[in-house]
Amino acid sequence: MVHITGTMVLQVVVSGLLVGGLYALVALGLSLVFGVMRVINIAHGTFLMLGAYVTYWLFALAGLNPFLSILISVPVLFVVGALIQRLFVFRVVNAPELSSLLLTFGISILLANLAMLAWTSDYRSVEFLTGSFIVKNIAISKPRSIAFALALAITAIAFLFLHRTKIGKAIRATSQNREVAEVCGINVRRIDLITFGLGAALAGAGGSLVSVMFAVYPEMGQVYVFKSFLVIVLGGAGNYPGAFFGGLLLGVIEGLSSLFLTAQLTEVVSYVLLVALLLLRPQGLLGGRT
Amino acid sequence: MPSLAKVVLPTGILMAALAVLPMFSSGYHVSFTIQVFMWIALAGSWNIISGLTGYVSFGHVAFFGVGAYTSALLITKAGWHWLPAGLAGCGPAALLALLIGYPCLRLKGPYFAIAMLGLNEVVRALVSYFEGLTGGGSGISLPPINATVPVYYAMGATALAVVVTTYLIINSRFGLRLISIREDEIAAETMGIDTARMKLYAFLISAAFPGIVGGFYAWYASHIEPMGVFPLITTITMIIMCLFGGAGTVLGPVIGATLLSIMQELVWARFLFVHQAIFGALIIGVVLLMPRGILGVARQYFRLPRTV
Repeated sequence: MVHITGTMVLQVVVSGLLVGGLYALVALGLSLVFGVMRVINIAHGTFLMLGAYVTYWLFALAGLNPFLSILISVPVLFVVGALIQRLFVFRVVNAPELSSLLLTFGISILLANLAMLAWTSDYRSVEFLTGSFIVKNIAISKPRSIAFALALAITAIAFLFLHRTKIGKAIRATSQNREVAEVCGINVRRIDLITFGLGAALAGAGGSLVSVMFAVYPEMGQVYVFKSFLVIVLGGAGNYPGAFFGGLLLGVIEGLSSLFLTAQLTEVVSYVLLVALLLLRPQGLLGGRT
Repeated sequence: MPSLAKVVLPTGILMAALAVLPMFSSGYHVSFTIQVFMWIALAGSWNIISGLTGYVSFGHVAFFGVGAYTSALLITKAGWHWLPAGLAGCGPAALLALLIGYPCLRLKGPYFAIAMLGLNEVVRALVSYFEGLTGGGSGISLPPINATVPVYYAMGATALAVVVTTYLIINSRFGLRLISIREDEIAAETMGIDTARMKLYAFLISAAFPGIVGGFYAWYASHIEPMGVFPLITTITMIIMCLFGGAGTVLGPVIGATLLSIMQELVWARFLFVHQAIFGALIIGVVLLMPRGILGVARQYFRLPRTV
């Protein structure tokens, strides 16, 4: 057993916070779509995987800076998301939950396996900007801190969009009450399309950022639906700022559990956390609206 | 009432044919039929929670895997006979279902589906972690099996048990309560149904059977390891077989499992990599184009009783 020092704890907390910013960004996309359409998009993690591949290929083939490639992965995933909404998901928006869960599950399996056929299941990595800043004995990984800053910036832009623009306000109105929004003249079908595209775009941005930290492979997205959902539950359903802190919290919890237990059990810890939370405080740790 | 000539007779002939099949046919046919029995039992189990109540379980393979490990441990460490060991697989599977189901099924909405989405990975991680007991990544080797015919009957009996259980549920007040939860949970609650309790009961039944199937599978496969008994594709296959045949019906999973097993054997085994992509596309197609499955389509052309 390794002796755990204060510095080590601080170190994992810092790295956890950096990853947590990313979780918050990805969770925002899932929660937007759920808010507007009441659809839990099981394919959300698959969109993240596609975003990561956009970055990987632009980096591998054209040498494009992975952080700049967000400018491409975001619109690409917006289009992919909007297309999938237009072709499939719009048919199940008012259907029972079973249909939308199974449909998006099918989409995620199809896309992940097409990715595997196209690009094989090899693990790939974007080796860009390795190394760390050292601040008082604590190593802060360079790619992670830039990814964190960008995740923060994108989340902030998304908030501004939701609060300041007309479309953003229409999205929030639809998520508050679909019928009333429709009566007020909001074209909810169009809002669905934009929201689903936006959700996919946020996942795509997350994927671009993930690709500089972790390996890129077709099944990489699987865990993110679960993680995003946990982030939403931590923050309290429907509470967007709560979800942001939920993301940071999850990052820190994961870091601490890999330090005090083993990395193998990190997922077990977050799972137990979700189940315990649903048992004791289903309204969310940070007290969301219910 | 089912008429003698139309229902009982063909069913009887089919059962008799399946019962004597091992005496007349090759090992290949027996092992293929074991596969079909296994999928009927698994798809049928998924149907009991997801087809009847509408609560989607994305992690049903976890119960299969837990059952497999239970029976493998009972056989190798405690020296049990494979039959009671396989049957004992239902205990830990149901216990796991209770641990997850109690917190998650009290809530309406997607909580249960997401919790089930994560369950499989978690159980697999735990099994790999407790190496001393489970052999970690290298798994457990069981004594080689010298006769597959007993497994054939055990698996067949399990499949039959699942079908009969589903029939009994659908024709009971309990089944009507479950279906009313699927159709409108709030209305069901208003009518005085303890929906959380009903969902939990359905889930326990639905988890116990895959535990038994997994238990027999461990003996049949002679070797189990985490990647082998917790694959996502098993859950996907259960779901698509049930949907394809007709979710929420007695015979839907049987039809779906039989047809897709045959197709899998004839066609897809040759396209191993496209196989999962096809399943994904099939799920999309069934949900959008024939949400009630083959039985639903058949219902439009033939008069079928509500309870098939």
